Amino acid sequence: MEKKSVLKKITGSREALLAVILIILFAAITIVSPSFLTPKSLLDMLKNNAVTMVMSLGMLCVMLVGGIDISIMSTLALSGMSIGMLLKYEHITSPVLAFVIALLIGTACGLVVGLVISRADVPPIIATMGFMYIFRAMGYLVSNGGEWASAKALGSFKDFATTKLLGINCVIWVIILCYVVFFFFMKWTRTGRKIYAVGSNANAAEVSGINVKNIKMLVYVIMGFLAGLGGALQVSIYASAMPDMQQGGEMDVIAACVIGGVSMSGGRGTVIGALFGSLILATIAKALPLVGFDALWQNTIKGILILVVVVVNVILQRIADKNALKGREM
Amino acid sequence: MAGKSGRSINNVPEAPIKKMILSWEGILVVLFILINIFCASFSEFYNLSSLLRQMPIYLAEVFLMLPMAYILVLGEIDISVGSIVCLSATMSCIVCNTGAPFIIVVLTGLLVGTLCGLVNGVILTKFQELPPMIVTLATQIIFRGIAEIVLGSGGSISATNTDGFRLLGGKVGSVPYILFLVIILAVVFAVVLGKSTFGRRVYAIGTNRLTAYYSGIHVQKIRLIIYTVMGTMAGLCSLFLISTSYGANTTTGNGFEMDAIAMAVFGGISSTGGKGNLAGGIISAFIIVCLRVGLGQKNVHAQVILLILGVLLIAAVALPNIVGQVKRVVKK
Amino acid sequence: MNKKLVSAVLCGTMILGSVSPVFAGTADGMKIALVAKSAGNAFFEIAAGAFEETVTAEGGTVEKVYPEAATADAQIKALDNLISQDFDAICISANDVNALQAKLEEAMDAGIKVSCFDSAPNKDSRQVFVNQAGTVAVGQALMDAVLDIAGGEGQWAILSATSQAANQNAWIDAMKTIMEEDEKYAGLELVEVAYGDDEPQKSTDQTAALLEKYPDLKVICAPTTVGIAAAAKYLQDNESACKLTGLGLPSEMIEYTGADDAHSCPYFYLWDMVGLGNLSAYATISLISGDITGALDETFTAGDMGEYTITEADDGGTEIVLGLPLEFNSDNIEEMAELY
Repeated sequence: MEKKSVLKKITGSREALLAVILIILFAAITIVSPSFLTPKSLLDMLKNNAVTMVMSLGMLCVMLVGGIDISIMSTLALSGMSIGMLLKYEHITSPVLAFVIALLIGTACGLVVGLVISRADVPPIIATMGFMYIFRAMGYLVSNGGEWASAKALGSFKDFATTKLLGINCVIWVIILCYVVFFFFMKWTRTGRKIYAVGSNANAAEVSGINVKNIKMLVYVIMGFLAGLGGALQVSIYASAMPDMQQGGEMDVIAACVIGGVSMSGGRGTVIGALFGSLILATIAKALPLVGFDALWQNTIKGILILVVVVVNVILQRIADKNALKGREM
Repeated sequence: MAGKSGRSINNVPEAPIKKMILSWEGILVVLFILINIFCASFSEFYNLSSLLRQMPIYLAEVFLMLPMAYILVLGEIDISVGSIVCLSATMSCIVCNTGAPFIIVVLTGLLVGTLCGLVNGVILTKFQELPPMIVTLATQIIFRGIAEIVLGSGGSISATNTDGFRLLGGKVGSVPYILFLVIILAVVFAVVLGKSTFGRRVYAIGTNRLTAYYSGIHVQKIRLIIYTVMGTMAGLCSLFLISTSYGANTTTGNGFEMDAIAMAVFGGISSTGGKGNLAGGIISAFIIVCLRVGLGQKNVHAQVILLILGVLLIAAVALPNIVGQVKRVVKK
Repeated sequence: MNKKLVSAVLCGTMILGSVSPVFAGTADGMKIALVAKSAGNAFFEIAAGAFEETVTAEGGTVEKVYPEAATADAQIKALDNLISQDFDAICISANDVNALQAKLEEAMDAGIKVSCFDSAPNKDSRQVFVNQAGTVAVGQALMDAVLDIAGGEGQWAILSATSQAANQNAWIDAMKTIMEEDEKYAGLELVEVAYGDDEPQKSTDQTAALLEKYPDLKVICAPTTVGIAAAAKYLQDNESACKLTGLGLPSEMIEYTGADDAHSCPYFYLWDMVGLGNLSAYATISLISGDITGALDETFTAGDMGEYTITEADDGGTEIVLGLPLEFNSDNIEEMAELY
């Protein structure tokens, strides 16, 4: 009897399902390549996927209200490239200031996107598709048509990503901080709950006195802010700014959220889910070269793994729903 | 949400001339003329013959736009089409290089495309809970991945016998065959979507899936058909694409899905489902082609062209909404 | 309601009136189009700058054209646009070996000369190819660097761009052949060729995986600019005993280059990019003027760079080889980073 209830608990919660999938992945990879499960290797993995992990939080908010944002990597490129060029031509030297500027640019981009979507009623996919082109082009223009800002030009800014605090890299602290803040924000603040309310039923939310338009705008501003942060992190981690950085990366962020159980029609999804989703993707990316598949096969396997994870998730969910129904019948 | 404005199942237009001109399609026609005037005065090389000569590769993307419009009307999205184009182009070239007759090559292209579309359709109908975007994202990676595996190191294949493809890329006078085919298919797709029961059902599903289901529409069957046709058209697109490059490589068709969606959306087909018609999509496709050719001939930076397209895309959807809002405020 | 229509018509006439044809006849000199692989490529910009300078000095004009993405499809669209115009020559760095053949043949049929540099389309789609450095010469330089840095023996790996990158594959094949043929490389063991897709993130993952899989790895050779910078950063940050060499941009690599343990890359190579731009310009000009046709053994004078001869390329076509790859080490990198 007891065993059954544990099983029920696992199949009953989406997050627990994801944890199980993640553990299976970890176990499988460790069997093939034991060096995977070392602290250094795992911290490397987190650091190398910091951008996706941080930005999935923003995508979580956007998807919770039933939206989507495919302009994020263009925002990232614009903000990252801007501070890259500012540092390169020594208009600014302070790393803190560079961070602030990147965040401001990202937030501004998010605000514009949010305004267009919430005030002009443009469907999110179309608006952000337009802005994907616009911000990316602006990134190119900022870079003087194709200059790179390299390690030397970035001065002390890039040291952020190599500095350790209490034995853990600063970049990883940023991830932890973001996830903790968002965990509390989504769960226990008024605004966080409003986002869920708007996502579950916009009309009901409107009637109960929530300013739906402002909430819809807010999520894109949050997304923009995190994209700006992603830009600063990207430039700092890889010590180079290029106008075409992370092109196509938005799909990874969306995939991370969907794998993490965030519904694309809004209203459903949690910070823990987004965490697991992005961890699963990060693990796949880290494991593919380790396990030693032929390089030609790696993309196909990545695609199949994503498909398998979401399908398994659906099947387990169906079983869980069936169980729940059975429980009620009894 | 759907059916707020524009066309939906319940307001088939009666078409008085005034209304037609002021409809989105009317505005698009005016825009089309304006853009042509603009391009002709902007670039001295812009004329009918240069336009016709440069058109084929863009027209190949129109093949994708036609079924994409159906998918958008359903309220869904398919971002795997670019990869389907890649895979079927690769397979066609391989079959072509075995010395098979050209008809077999054509059939291979169409068949591979259809199969890929069928895979999308089957997964999406078997697991209805899955969002189309994530499924087609996964298949996008997979289809291109398979092409990468097949192409192997080097990642590029060249058709040794290009006669058939040259024929496909041929012209009547200076009008390429592909233009005729695009027009014929556009009419077929537009009529099916606008006039047939099937088309009405697509709108019904896009407007309210549950209602459609309970009123006896085979929602999943229709979705399966549409995604499969999407694949077939991607196969067709790949054949014409080969006729401009006599080969395939791992980046073939990259980004085509976005181009196709942009054309459809600019033409007033809403991505939220249930709205829009193909006439708008087709006119907007030609607007985008003319704009790209015209600006390209003046060697405007490609990123700037994309920037302009982005602004147009947003403006096309935002402006009518803003005008509507202003009107409402004024009326109050 | 008719106002909308009226205003639309008015707008049309205004545009028609204001945008009168701006073009005032073609320039006297030759017009050359320089087609990039994609926008945002620092490497191309350096060569393009030199190219433009040379052509301008010779009295011609250069139009730099960027395809919208780093794909052959996008280059086909760009070429389509160029053929419609009145260019004398197109100089292109090709994204794919085969896919541009139809368009480049069309261009040649229309009387436009076709030259290419950096990355060549197949032999039927070009008249002349300016190769930055002979494939074997690059392979030899890299192999010797690996041997030297590894100290004569040990495991080494290659971190390349994509598995489809034609240039990289040619160099890697050349390295493998050299390694097999010469006894002195017998102590070296090539454990893996990894691909980082020219993305910093993926390149970092691949570098980390190489180190985890082969703890005794002595050298990584990265013949690609993005890959070498990402690998250099990872190795240096982790104070790895594994060292790096390959092909990279001095300005990207300056922080990582040095002979001591604090730096991850003792030395690396690249060719003279300004020279590549200049030589491509001279070759293209010679094509236009008819001094060369791209046939084997023709010679031409490339300004003050001296005389060059057209030789046979690996693919059976013809090419002009710029010279040997340049070595960048702690002594010259400061100076070179200013240039590149």
